[in-house]
Formats: sequence, structure tokens, C-alpha cells
Amino acid sequence: MSRDRSILPWRSSLLALLGLILCAAATAQTPLRIAAAADLEPVLPPLLDEFQQATGIHAEATYQASAALTTQIENGAPFDVFLAADVSYPQRLIGEHQAQGPADAAEPLVYAHGTLVLWTRTDAALPPPSLKLLRSPALRRLAIANPDRAPYGRAAVAALTSLKLYDALKPRLVTAGNIAQAAQYVDSGNADAGLISLTSALTPRLKSAGTYFVIPRNLYPPIEQGAVLVARSQQQAAAKRFLDFLLSHPIQAQLAKSGLSPAK
Amino acid sequence: MDWQAINVTLRLAAITTAVLLVISVPLSALLVLNRARWLAALEALTSLPLVLPPTVLGFFLLVLLGPRTAVGRALIGVIGHPLAFSFSGLVVGSVIYSLPFAVQSLVAGFASIEPVLIDAARLLGAGPVRLVFTLFLPLARRSLLAAAVLTFLHTVGEFGVVLMLGGDIPGATRTLSILLYDQVESFDYAAANRTAGLLLVLSLAALAAIYAGSRSRGGRNA
Repeated sequence: MSRDRSILPWRSSLLALLGLILCAAATAQTPLRIAAAADLEPVLPPLLDEFQQATGIHAEATYQASAALTTQIENGAPFDVFLAADVSYPQRLIGEHQAQGPADAAEPLVYAHGTLVLWTRTDAALPPPSLKLLRSPALRRLAIANPDRAPYGRAAVAALTSLKLYDALKPRLVTAGNIAQAAQYVDSGNADAGLISLTSALTPRLKSAGTYFVIPRNLYPPIEQGAVLVARSQQQAAAKRFLDFLLSHPIQAQLAKSGLSPAK
Repeated sequence: MDWQAINVTLRLAAITTAVLLVISVPLSALLVLNRARWLAALEALTSLPLVLPPTVLGFFLLVLLGPRTAVGRALIGVIGHPLAFSFSGLVVGSVIYSLPFAVQSLVAGFASIEPVLIDAARLLGAGPVRLVFTLFLPLARRSLLAAAVLTFLHTVGEFGVVLMLGGDIPGATRTLSILLYDQVESFDYAAANRTAGLLLVLSLAALAAIYAGSRSRGGRNA
């Protein structure tokens, strides 16, 4: 008998502990999960903090190439919002009924436009970046992102093609997996120059190490960055609020400062 | 089928295996024969490439071999261009990346040789070079085979280092694994399945042939 009594408090306290854990798990807010294209990595973190201050909704972002995120969402990754680096990936998900646009369900929301720049290190023995540099024989290796899957890579090839330089430069191109890696190729000195995103060129590290030249916008089709709501998400309302926040005036102005020009 | 990528991959794996065997046979013999304490540090160092994520290892190599470090500048002075984005750069990366696989197999093989035999050979006046050629390699030939096969396969399947260091240049640095990644990322699953299928069938056939050969010669270690 005495033995039983000594066990009982143990059991009840264990049960109580279990109950507490279950309650905590049930009440803990699941964060809003955002799948974000790699070019947003230098841009998004402060915006997420502001979003939490404004709405009380805690949001967490995962940064990857748009193609990889698309595959993950197709295969059930638990994201609520997808911010891609172009509109083709969100359109693909809409076509598969895996996502929908916030206003018109069939159209991704364009939340920003990307800007392509030519970037070189200041200590490279090259003239400052300009269209003339692209024609210079001193340019031995030019880094771009993979045109088959990175929107900025596609824009880079389009710009070189409009300049009728693509065939001449093709043997001197090195292709990086994504736009951030293309920037690394130039920053590490292994490539002389790179066609990278303005968002990368404006990060503190690249800003202090080099200079950039904005590629004229008429040379490549606009890099429209599209967003969609993931169909499987349990937090549609919060996800919509996030996209409204992203399109709000002050946030669009902040995006412009970090290298993404306004959606409209 | 992209024969260019297959060619780059097989050439890279073969050259890496050859270079690594030349480096790791003496290195492993040193680790087994010499009991000095400081060699523990060397042995630990050879295993380190296993710890770093391959893309990170590739990133460090990219920076180290680039023109912004003394090592990189010296190399560029000798060969005239940065090692990154070239086939020889990939060989350097692959040798470092697969070093643990070669050394671990060889050390295990050499260490399992009866110490009595080594002592006897030494008493008869055999120096370390002779020990390696007449005792270690014949008795540990199965480990040598394992080291070669592991290095070869590991290089064929290498991805992160090549992704960072290679620059995806057809005919020079676009290997099968990079091609496969490109195909998967551009949603060309049919092409990816063909490439992956070919890679698996080729590897299985080559491995079966190697192991069948070593069985028929009775090549197991005593």
C-alpha cells in the first residue's frame, strides 16, 4: 500500500507535465512560413520584423532558388506564401492548383521588379563597369546566373543578346547556380565581372568592395517578381495580410532602397 | 544523352583516383608504420573534408584558389589563369574532397597486416619503400581496390564542390551530377530520369565487374 501511495504523486505529476506540454503545443502560434527567392535574402529579414510589429504575426522565411521552392511546394512543403523571383514559377503552381493569386486567383501578384546590374570589384584591373566593359577583351570571365532556371540569368542572356554580344562572350561566361553565387564568383576575384541583381550589389559587403552599372531596362524583358498563396496553407488570412503589407506604400519604398523597384 | 558530361565525369573520376592513390598510399603507410603522437593530428586532418558540407568546402576552395589570396596568386602565376572554372581546378577540389575515403580504406587495410610480418621484413633489412611494395600492397590489395572504387564513385557523385568551383562550363566543368541538377531544376524530369538511370546502370555494371574479378582471383585479405 505504502508503495502505491509513493508512486501516485509521480504519476499525477507526470500527467500534469504531459498536459502542460500539450497545452503549450496547442496554443503556440505556428509562424507564417514564407518561401522566398534567393535574391530576397538581403531584403526580407527587416521587413518580417516590421510585419510582426504591425500585425503581431510572426513570419519566418526560407531562402532558396525559385525552382527548388516550386518543387518543394509541389511535394507538400509547409509554406503559406511563395515569393518568387519571376512569375513563371508561381504560374506553374497555379496551373497545378497548388496555389492561387491573392486578388485574381489565376494570376500571381507582382510585388516588385528586379534590376540587372554589371558589377566589378574596385581592385580589379579593369575599367569601371559600363556597356563598354562588356566589349573589352580585358573581360576574361563574366559570371551570370544559370539562364535555364534563374530569372536574372535569363535577363542577363537577353541583355547580352540585345547587345549582339552573346555569341562573342559565350566562351567567357561562367554560370552560377543562382544569383547570389554569381556575385560570389566576382567577389572572390575568380570572375572579372558579373551580371547580378541590384539587391546583391547593394548589400554592405558588395557595396564596399565594388561598383555597379545599371543595365538599361530596354535591353531585357522586365524581371517581374510574383507572389502566390499556397493552396494547402491553413493561414490564408495571415498570408493575405502579409501580401497587402508587402504592397503598402512604405514597404514598397523600402524595397526600392534595397534594389527592388516598385510593383506599379 | 550528353556524352560531353559523361566524358568530363569519367575523366575527372579517373584522374582523381590516380592522383589520390599516389598521395594516399605513402600517407597511409606513414600513419600505420610511424607511431609518433603528432601523426594523430595529421590523421585527423585527412578526415576533415568529411565534416564540412561540400558546398562550403567548395566555397573555401573558390576563395583560396582565387586571386585574392597569396596561395591563389602563386598558383595563377604558375599556370596563368585561376584554377576555378577549369577542369584542373575540379581535380584539386575532388582530390581534397575524396581524400578521407582513400586514406581510411588504406589505413584500415595496412593496419590489419600481422605486425610479425612487418617486424620480420624489417629484420631482413627492408626499408619503408620496400615494405610498402612487397608487403603492404600485395597483402592489402582488397583495401587498395576499395580505396580506388570509393574514390572513383565518390568523385562521380560529387556535387557541392563542383557546383561552387566549376561554373557549369560544358566540356570542362559540367559533370553528370551538375547536368542532373540542371535538369531537375528546370523540371525536365524525363531527361533527369534518363541521366540518373544511365549513371546507376553504368556504376552497377562497373562495380559488379570489379568485384567479380577480385573474387575470382581470390583477392580477399587474409
